[in-house]
Amino acid sequence: MFHALVAIKQVPDTTNIRIDPDTGNLVREGVPAIMNPYDAHALAAAVELKRKLNGKVTVISMGPSSFNATLREAIELGADRGILLSDRKFAGADTLATSYVLAQAIKAIHEEEPVHMLFFGKQAIDGDTAQVGPGVAVRLDLPIVTYVSSIREVDLERQKAVFDRRTERWSEIIETSLPVLLTCEKEIAPVPFAPLPDLIRSLRYEPEFWSKSDGPATFDDAYVGSKGSPTIVYKMGTPPLPEAGEKINSREVGVDAAVKSALQQVEAAGVLAEILGGAV
Amino acid sequence: MNNYDNSGKITFDAIVIGAGLAGSAAAMIMAREGLNVALIERGNKPGAKNYFGGAIYTHAIEEVLPGFMDLKPPFERPVTEAGFWFLSKDGMMRASVQGGKLEKEPYDAYVTLRAAFDPWWAEQAQAAGAFLIPKTTVIDFIRDDDGHGQVIGVVTDRPQGEIYAPVVIICEGVNNLLTQKLELIGRDLEPAHTALAFKQVISLSPQLVNSRFGLPDNSHGLAVSVVGDVSLGLPGMGFVYTNKGSVSVGLGVMLDVLAEYRLKPYEILERYLKHPAIAPLVEGGQLLEYGAHLIPEGGWRDMPDVYTGGVMVAGDAASMVNALHWEGTNMAMIAGKLAAETAIEAHSRGDFSAKTLSRYEDRLRERFILQDLRQYRNFSKFLEQHPEFMEVYPAFLNDALGGFFSAYGKPKRQLFQEILGALTDRRGIFKAAGDIVSMGRAVMGW
Amino acid sequence: MVPGMNIESNETNVRRFWVFIEQEGGEVHPVSWELLGVARALVAQVQSEAEENGEEVVVEGVLLGDDVEHIAKLAFQYGADRVYLVDDPVFKNYRNCPYYKSIAQVAEKYQPEVFLIGATTLGRDLAGAVATALHTGLTADCTGLEMGEVKGSRRRLLLATRPAFGGNILATIICRKYRPQMSSVRPRVFPMPECNPDAAGEIIRESPAVQEENALACILDFIREKGADVDIEYADVIVAGGRGLGNPDGFALVQELAEELGGVVGASRPCVDLGWIDAAHQVGQTGKTVRPKLYIAAGISGALQHKVGMQNSDFIIAINNDANAPIFDVADVGIVGDLFEVIPAMLTAIRGRKEALANE
Ligand SMILES: Cc1cc2nc3c(=O)[nH]c(=O)nc-3n(C[C@H](O)[C@H](O)[C@H](O)COP(=O)(O)OP(=O)(O)OC[C@H]3O[C@@H](n4cnc5c(N)ncnc54)[C@H](O)[C@@H]3O)c2cc1C
Ligand SMILES: Cc1cc2nc3c(=O)[nH]c(=O)nc-3n(C[C@H](O)[C@H](O)[C@H](O)COP(=O)(O)OP(=O)(O)OC[C@H]3O[C@@H](n4cnc5c(N)ncnc54)[C@H](O)[C@@H]3O)c2cc1C
Ligand SMILES: Nc1ncnc2c1ncn2[C@@H]1O[C@H](COP(=O)(O)O)[C@@H](O)[C@H]1O
Repeated sequence: MFHALVAIKQVPDTTNIRIDPDTGNLVREGVPAIMNPYDAHALAAAVELKRKLNGKVTVISMGPSSFNATLREAIELGADRGILLSDRKFAGADTLATSYVLAQAIKAIHEEEPVHMLFFGKQAIDGDTAQVGPGVAVRLDLPIVTYVSSIREVDLERQKAVFDRRTERWSEIIETSLPVLLTCEKEIAPVPFAPLPDLIRSLRYEPEFWSKSDGPATFDDAYVGSKGSPTIVYKMGTPPLPEAGEKINSREVGVDAAVKSALQQVEAAGVLAEILGGAV
Repeated sequence: MNNYDNSGKITFDAIVIGAGLAGSAAAMIMAREGLNVALIERGNKPGAKNYFGGAIYTHAIEEVLPGFMDLKPPFERPVTEAGFWFLSKDGMMRASVQGGKLEKEPYDAYVTLRAAFDPWWAEQAQAAGAFLIPKTTVIDFIRDDDGHGQVIGVVTDRPQGEIYAPVVIICEGVNNLLTQKLELIGRDLEPAHTALAFKQVISLSPQLVNSRFGLPDNSHGLAVSVVGDVSLGLPGMGFVYTNKGSVSVGLGVMLDVLAEYRLKPYEILERYLKHPAIAPLVEGGQLLEYGAHLIPEGGWRDMPDVYTGGVMVAGDAASMVNALHWEGTNMAMIAGKLAAETAIEAHSRGDFSAKTLSRYEDRLRERFILQDLRQYRNFSKFLEQHPEFMEVYPAFLNDALGGFFSAYGKPKRQLFQEILGALTDRRGIFKAAGDIVSMGRAVMGW
Repeated sequence: MVPGMNIESNETNVRRFWVFIEQEGGEVHPVSWELLGVARALVAQVQSEAEENGEEVVVEGVLLGDDVEHIAKLAFQYGADRVYLVDDPVFKNYRNCPYYKSIAQVAEKYQPEVFLIGATTLGRDLAGAVATALHTGLTADCTGLEMGEVKGSRRRLLLATRPAFGGNILATIICRKYRPQMSSVRPRVFPMPECNPDAAGEIIRESPAVQEENALACILDFIREKGADVDIEYADVIVAGGRGLGNPDGFALVQELAEELGGVVGASRPCVDLGWIDAAHQVGQTGKTVRPKLYIAAGISGALQHKVGMQNSDFIIAINNDANAPIFDVADVGIVGDLFEVIPAMLTAIRGRKEALANE
């Protein structure tokens, strides 16, 4: 049976900080926690495939128990099984330690029920690092295709699949063997509005809970959490304030005069001649 | 618990639409009696989109959920000072009550924020056994095709989104789309009877809240209505509530007025916040949230039929708000409870006809809800016809009392004449007397 | 025993600062040169420390490709002392597995201290894999790099600074115990170093770790995409429009000014979200970082997330009708006014100036 695995992270909804259209003020009222948007699209793609190939989708997430809400949402969107990897010792993980925990869990899941495809988001919007997917692929020694914008073909018999991969300059059509790990763009599949029966099932669903010692996966203390994280936050600060230049009010001096004065300054900085010199 | 009947339909014993104050109360009462209740909420979670001032009244909470204080409700502060502030152009007169009954536990009211209160309130319904279905909007009803058109379920916006139940309680709040759909009321909200309330929550340290509002400590709080120079002299009313580490400041203005004068809500609010008497109270605070919400102020005049076969309506959806006192939460909760009790009764009889559910209206009548709404029925009409109440009198009171409390070295007799003069300048003396009479009528139901 | 280059066992006398030289189809991504410039600056910061300890410090490039030796020579001109070249048909097109495995193999052999990779599409695909294979720390999207003294460390460490929490905070990250200390850096965050055409260096050839049959993936075809030609990152002039344009038509005016100046059009995120313009034009945290000679921001308020993408421009003109708009804080000159009046006036002035120049 086709088996897809999706790694999902819960993130604060940084992109959806609302700006009040009337006042231009930030509406900060409880910035909610959401499923990382790229992961939602990855999940949607996995669910589309499982429906087509008549298979199963398992989702995993590493984080505190509040991440259960996101796993339930994954069930709502069509996943069959949700596993939360949670342990006090897992806390404080950087991307390297995160990829270790996910990889160990995936190994255990794979042993129970072989996995054909692993779906990750392109990146998590809280850190934008895009490192965990490649990290897990390396640990499991799997082929990886990043920035997947569509799945062309999955052939379980030949154990091959074909994808569109988007880079800055072009799209590649790329073929790999299975199992394969993907990191997904939003285009890969639209996130569906779940049918009511799926929602009701998800509301009653209790995700499985795997900790360091509880569950079929094994974890080595040295690799998890802050202990297994080579990077250390050394200090935090606020960005320095730049020095502001002159402000010319066109309502006071007139538009033409303001423009003239501004261009004179560009010229004085030696920039305009360079640009116009090239243009003339 | 299985919600599927033999034919695979999703079925419950009762459906409540809207996990607001009325809805969760209704769900709680029914679930406690063992009914299998679906509580449907369109927001991501209860309270996500809800706003109010506001103060919430303990008598109503206690009635629905006895011993609720043990369940750690997310209150900000008890209301230990309440009253009116009258703003003139540049001054303010305060008429508030503090101490006495307000100081005694159990407190009559608490200030709270809906984003915290509603989830807690819905949790109590869930704890009683109600099944909360979030992120789902009810868009229509399923009617029996036996000729009576009795409501037997709802249609939601989701695929395969029908849910069946013999009784549905509509607690959809102020946007009465569903009551209209059932033709319980024949029209949209009337702009002239509906206020748009908008507010800001401004953060201040608890110490600053205490010192600026004259509160001895964090277990004291203030809830006042502000009238006069709040809304450019137009019919409207402001409010100030102290939270633990923030202040809620806002005002409501009737929709028709906003439209007629092409006013932008935030401009009025900005102006109000810059008022010389208000600005120092919030100075240096950070804007935490900005929100707007409608209030149905038509009260009695705008009530829909509150029941029909298989359906009851409670809370704002039934226009159960006392505009003068900013009271809506208590009516919503009690009405939710009364509707729930009627539903339980209907279940025990196995009869959900309009006739059985008409007991709901009887229950409302027996309680303060219909009585209060009747009593205040003319109040908002009064405000419409007497804009001077919002403008002239607060200014007058300010001048008058300002004079009264300063010595000026004048004989008191002259002072009183001046005060009277100040009023009659603004409004003819007979008119003034008439105003007072009609105001009294509006409030007291003379 | 934890794998990876634990520093206790791995400190050598040569301190190697590595830069990944990114190329596709023989075309080098300029970020590679920017990073050689950064590496040079970092090396300068540890020079005296190294001399005291009798150590050598070098900047080295890592180059993979099919028939790309000529690129190694360019790398010397931008500051590399040495280039490790893995030249093999398996690298004809970029693929994750052959690339990361070969790089990891070379890194294990030579044990670099610092390793910088451009945070391009390719670089991001690669960096996480390399770091995991080497079991070391990787800091993504750095905006500041410095070698600094850290208590308890014998040598200066790489202090990698990156924005966090939507750009509201800068976090400085270190990697104390493992080597190399890896960072990815977005294009255009650092300036392009001088090119020295006389510079030369040593090429060290290495063999690939993977043959074609183990490459795990095979590229069947390439499709060029619409919008793929917009390259705002390396434009000299950018005229950027924001929500203040009011509607998609506003971009016509911005376009006209950009053309007049021989530049390209940039945009703030809401314009992209609203579908006014293609995402390839977006400047900012979730768009591109740019540093043109001239950046004109019209109808852009100057949110932090926009500013981080353009504040390194040589000269910034801001046009906004709100005198308090934060964009003015980063502008070299600000015009408070309606962009629909200011831009046409600017067009006239520039056309006049050009004519004058032509008549000279
Ligand atoms: C600014 C302001 C200040 C106020 N101050 C006070 C005060 O100090 N004290 C006081 O007692 N009252 C106050 N009120 C009034 C009080 O807030 C309301 O009367 C009360 O909230 C009504 O409760 P309700 O349950 O009827 O409606 P709501 O609390 O509005 O709940 C309705 C719920 O239904 C949901 N819903 C709506 N339609 C659907 C649908 N189709 N499907 C599913 N879900 C749906 C909504 O999301 C919402 O959660 C104030 C109101 C405002 C706006
Ligand atoms: C995680 C995250 C990432 C983000 N990434 C990015 C990013 O990469 N890039 C980005 O740009 N934003 C990004 N944003 C969004 C950013 O926070 C701002 O919302 C956005 O930059 C605002 O765009 P704007 O300036 O065009 O619009 P607004 O803030 O609406 O500003 C419009 C401006 O136009 C002015 N204006 C209006 N009419 C005129 C006129 N006729 N003449 C002159 N001026 C006029 C107004 O005064 C106003 O200042 C991100 C946000 C988050 C939370
Ligand atoms: N804690 C986590 N639990 C599950 N999946 C994760 C976690 N962190 C990251 N991921 C996955 O890795 C992807 C890239 O994350 P990042 O490297 O943090 O940008 C995400 O889109 C997720 O699919």
